[in-house]
This record gives sequence, structure tokens and C-alpha cells, in this order.
Amino acid sequence: MKKDIRNMELLSAYLDDELTTEERVEVEKLLAGSLEMQKKLEDLKKIKQLGNRVDRIPESPFFETRLMAAIDSQKSDSSRTRRWVPATAMAIITIVVMIIMKLNPGLFDQVWEDQKVALAGFYKENLQPVLLAANLTNEDVFNFAFNNELPLDDSRKQYLLVGYDDSGKEFFEIRSSDKSLNRGSYNEFVTAMNLDDKQKQTVDSIIGSYSKALESQVLVNENNTVAINPNLWNIRKAIFADLLVAAEQLNKSKFDRIVPKGISENEKVTVVNAVNKLKNTSGDKYIFVTPDSIFEDSFVFDPVLMEKRIEWTEKKIKANEEKIKEVTFKVEFDSAFRYYSEEMKGHPFTVAFDSNICRVDVPNFKAYRTELPEIAAIDPLIELATNNIHFYAYKIPKIEKSNSEIKIEYYNDDSVYSYVVDYNVINIDSIVQANAGGRDLITLDKFKPVQPNDDTMLIKYQFDRDYYKRFYSDEEFKKQMEELQKELQELSKDVNNQKIRVHTEVTKTPKK
Amino acid sequence: MNSIDKDKDLQQPQLVSVEDDYSIIRQFIDGDKSAFQVLVKRHKEKVRNIIYLTLNNNSFVDDIAQDVFITIYKNLKHFRFESQFTTWLYRITVNKCKDYIRRMNVRKIFSPLDEGVEVSEYTTPVENKDVSRIVTDAISKLPVKLRMPLILKDIEGFSYQEISETLNCEMGTVKSRIFRGREKLKEILQPMEKELMG
Repeated sequence: MKKDIRNMELLSAYLDDELTTEERVEVEKLLAGSLEMQKKLEDLKKIKQLGNRVDRIPESPFFETRLMAAIDSQKSDSSRTRRWVPATAMAIITIVVMIIMKLNPGLFDQVWEDQKVALAGFYKENLQPVLLAANLTNEDVFNFAFNNELPLDDSRKQYLLVGYDDSGKEFFEIRSSDKSLNRGSYNEFVTAMNLDDKQKQTVDSIIGSYSKALESQVLVNENNTVAINPNLWNIRKAIFADLLVAAEQLNKSKFDRIVPKGISENEKVTVVNAVNKLKNTSGDKYIFVTPDSIFEDSFVFDPVLMEKRIEWTEKKIKANEEKIKEVTFKVEFDSAFRYYSEEMKGHPFTVAFDSNICRVDVPNFKAYRTELPEIAAIDPLIELATNNIHFYAYKIPKIEKSNSEIKIEYYNDDSVYSYVVDYNVINIDSIVQANAGGRDLITLDKFKPVQPNDDTMLIKYQFDRDYYKRFYSDEEFKKQMEELQKELQELSKDVNNQKIRVHTEVTKTPKK
Repeated sequence: MNSIDKDKDLQQPQLVSVEDDYSIIRQFIDGDKSAFQVLVKRHKEKVRNIIYLTLNNNSFVDDIAQDVFITIYKNLKHFRFESQFTTWLYRITVNKCKDYIRRMNVRKIFSPLDEGVEVSEYTTPVENKDVSRIVTDAISKLPVKLRMPLILKDIEGFSYQEISETLNCEMGTVKSRIFRGREKLKEILQPMEKELMG
């Protein structure tokens, strides 16, 4: 009996290739002479193979962030009470707490508030200007003014897109792409405007003059936080308008194609006033986007302190020749993105996101943005120039919207690409949207399909097309599309089972 | 590529060399606290998976995994580079799982009867479960001392030597427990043989 068990154990270890040479020879001899042993080996093999069919737990991309927060909170909590408190002490504490709660009914709220402050503090740590973290160039600032996109890190694979929806409300999106954001719009602009080196230097210095103003507008840190100052939208307009005024002065005849009527003296004065006012305005309210929450809070960015820190770091680097540490930044949003309803009261953000975009609509934005009538006054000029600029700088797409479709034209390698997107197109990734007010994104019945009321889906679509066109052959693209179609059908089936109504009409084929 | 395939891609265990772990730990000891995050990133999924499979419950996986890494963080500066980092890491993981199971067993004793009933008794009927679920549920019915070596061998692909170091027991014991674990698992899965093979 004992020998049988030993043989079986050897057989099991034989399967795992964990025997010595002698043991292996012994088992192989046994196997050769016994059908029963052979059957046993087959049985054990089947059981072992079941291990390959076990699913692994889904990945948790936010684990490190939470872990580091827990470690930090433990470090700061040096006077932690002992784990085991005598039962009598517990009873006394309970009674004391009951009395305190009776006398201070709002205490829990206070504790909750304190916790929120602690969490906000964690996300605010080491915030530094994106200007430094992403090493912004003049090309980036120009691109921000004309294409609304601002890189968030040095790799240029994460970027911020700011804009207005059709009702004029501000929104921003944090996007990621597999290729670096490098549009080359600035060079296109310089070539199209026929600017010589000296003139380019003038434009460079104008862009450079916004460095300080832009410095405090977008802050990032290694805790995956992006802090956005509500004045960012105004700053973008100011850079845009300032560059228009400069462009007109530098080459009037070429500029006429952007703004045929030219810029009046009054408009120029308004632009200068708006620019000056903005450069001297610094709001202390920020919108914080973190991996698991979006909130607004006060934050004072101190440029002097930042400069000192940079100086100190540079000295340290020089003295010790230490390795320069990059700020690595990668926003990955939690699939169980949660926030609390009471926190959202009064300033509801509307959040929608898919695999590479997180979009935040800020309907009550004006409540805390610095009001600048000068900026509102130059809006028509900016709008007119925006409509015409794509003729001029080829890398800036032309977007036309109508009730039923959005048409986009953009230029690449001297060819014009034109896409028409039907409004009823369904975006697989953006199938769901969480509205303000304590919604849990993993609870399907609280989702509703994204309505294409602006160009978010369009730009996403353009990005996908662009991406696939560059990295896949037509055949590969077709295969991907077929797979997508299959997924769409399965999704429709699922959606039907859940009794959620969605449109599933297919887009028109993009034409060249 | 469908979403399930994508998930599987993401969860492929990474090839991690001992030397790499050592150099990261040295960076940490030299004062580079960010090196710890690199270490966590490399090993967290395997740690989470061992916890998940051992407990067959995903509610506490991240809490226990966090506990594991906090223990590592507090003691990493004393690491002696005499054995693989992963041996130490997985040993702590296994011990935290055992602690949790022990706590749960104590809690069950003090819980009212209706709360003490195994949840698995009420789970989805067999015909509606997928193979992964059936096998995971069956593994969770094994005694802890058979469950752990079996998970480490047949799911995580550890060698007997690694299992012996992780569980702090003799190689012969590992060999015997893996065999007994497989036998017991076969017995538990006997009524579901059709679903599993069909």
C-alpha cells in the first residue's frame, strides 16, 4: 500500500519533470509494464491541464497608486495606536464616542471632510508645471493655440485637449495615443506665411512670452494627477489672437486668406488688453483629475518656490552628477471610477471615457472662471480665423458640422483626406457615459449612450482612422473592421438583452 | 482581438530575472523610493492572483496584496540578497493568505449559524458556470495545505524547489501534497466531468 502511494507520487512528479534520472527510469519501467499506471498518468495529466483553464484575476492598474498612498499615510501616522486595545478601554471609548456624537452630531461629517482633505493633499503633492514636466517647446504652445492640444509628458503620448461643445460650454479631454503627438503645425504656419528667420524669431518670442502665463495653468505630478486652471481656455484664445495680430503685421498679403477683412485697430487694442490682463491673472481654483476622482479645489502655485526648487535641483545635479529623474506621467482611469454625490452638488462635472480618452464637461464653469469681457469681444475674430486657418496651415483640420453629419478634411503629404461621419455612428468605446451625481460606472443600468452633440467622437474617429492607416495595411485594417463589426453585433445582442436602446447604423466609407 | 484576449495579454506573467530585482532593491536601499513602485509593478499581478486563487474571493485581494507589499516596504532595507526576492515575496503572500483564512474561520465560529454557511453552496448551478469557475471553486474546497502547493504548481507554474522554499517545507512533502491535491481535486470534480471534458 505504502509502495503504491510512493509510486503514485513519483508518477505525479514525473508529470512535472521533477524526478532524478534514477527515479525517471524507475517510473518509465513501471509505465511500460502496467496499463493501470498509464491510465493513472493520463488522469493526472488531465487534472494538471485544468490549471491552464483557470482565468486570472483582472489587472488592477491603480494598485500602485493606492499602495503608495497607504504607505504614505502610515508613515505620517507615527503615533498610531496599538492594535490590540483591552476590551475595557474599548468599552470606555465607545461610551465616550456616543457622548461626543450626542453633543456633536456633525463630527462624522468633519472626519469625512478631513479624510477628503488628506486624499486631496496626496494628489496635490509635487505638482509641477506641465511646461517643465513635458518640456514644452514653441511648437507645442503653437499647437495648443491652433489645435487645442497640449502634451502632458515628455513622451508626448498623453495630451490634453480643451474646447467648447456646441452649447458653448467648456470641456477638456485627457487622451492617450500610441504615437507621439507631433503635428508640425508651427513649421507649416511659418512656411505658409513665408516668414524669414528674423520674422520667425519674432513669433518665437511672442510664444515664449506666454511661458510664464502658461506655467501655472496645467500642473502634473507622478501621482497621475492633472490640475487644470479654468483660465486655460482664455490663455489659449489669447495666444491665438496675439499670433494673429503678429501674423498680420509680418505678412499682410498672406494673412488676408486667414482673416480677409484684416484686424481693426479697435480689435488690436482689445487683444492687447485681454493679453495683458490674462498674463497678470492667476486663479487659485483648479480642477483636479486623478485616477479615481475629479474634484475642484484651491491650490496656490508658487512660481518663486518652483524656481528655487529647480535651481536647487540643477545645483544638486551639477554637484553630484546625479541622474536626472523624469516625471513619468500616465493617466489610467479606474474602471470603477467613483465619486460622491454630495461632492458633486453645485458643480456637476459630466464624465465620459473610453480606452484612450477621458472627457470632462464643465457646465458650471463660469461660476469660478475669471470673467474677461475682452476675450469675449475677440471671439468672433478667433472664430473667423479658425474657420479659415486650415487652408493655410495644412496640418490643421477643417471641420464642418451639420444636423446629420460631421465632415472633416485634413491634409497629409500633399493629399486631402475627407471623412464624413454620420451622427448615428456608434462608438464602441464610448458606449457608456456617466452623468454627474455619484454614478458608479460599473453598474450598467446607470449608463447611457454618448450622444454625438459635438466633435468628440469625430476626433476619436479621425484618430482611429489615422492610426490604422499609418500602422496597418488595408487588408489588416479590413480585418480589424470585420472583428469590430462582430464585436458590435455581440454588443448589440447584449444591449438588447439589457433592454437598452442604441443606434447601430454604420458609417459611410471614408473617401479620399 | 476581443476584450477577453486583451485581458489575457495584459495578464501574461512577465519574465523577471533575479538580477533585475536585486538591482532595483539596491536602488531602493540607496534611497530611491520610486524603485519600490517598479518592484510592485513587476510582481503585483502574480501576488494578486495567488491571493485570489487561494481565497476564491476577489473582494479582499487588493487589501491583502497591499498588506503584503507594505510588509515588504517596511523590511526591504534588511534584504540580504541571499535568496530570490520572489521567494520572500511569495512566502509573505502565502502567510497573509493563511492569516486571512484563520481570521475568517475564527469569525465563523462567532457568527450566527445562517451566516456561517459556505457561500459556494448557493453559487450558480454547474451547467451555467464556465470551466474556470468550476475549477476555481473546486480548488477552494481543498484543504489549505493541499490547495497552496497545487495553485503554485499547476496554475502559477512554480518548480518543486520554489514551492518548498515558499511554503517552507521539505521537497518530499511538496511532492506528496501536489499528488494528494490532484487526487482530491479529481474526486471533487468527478460529478462535473462531463461539463469539464465536453
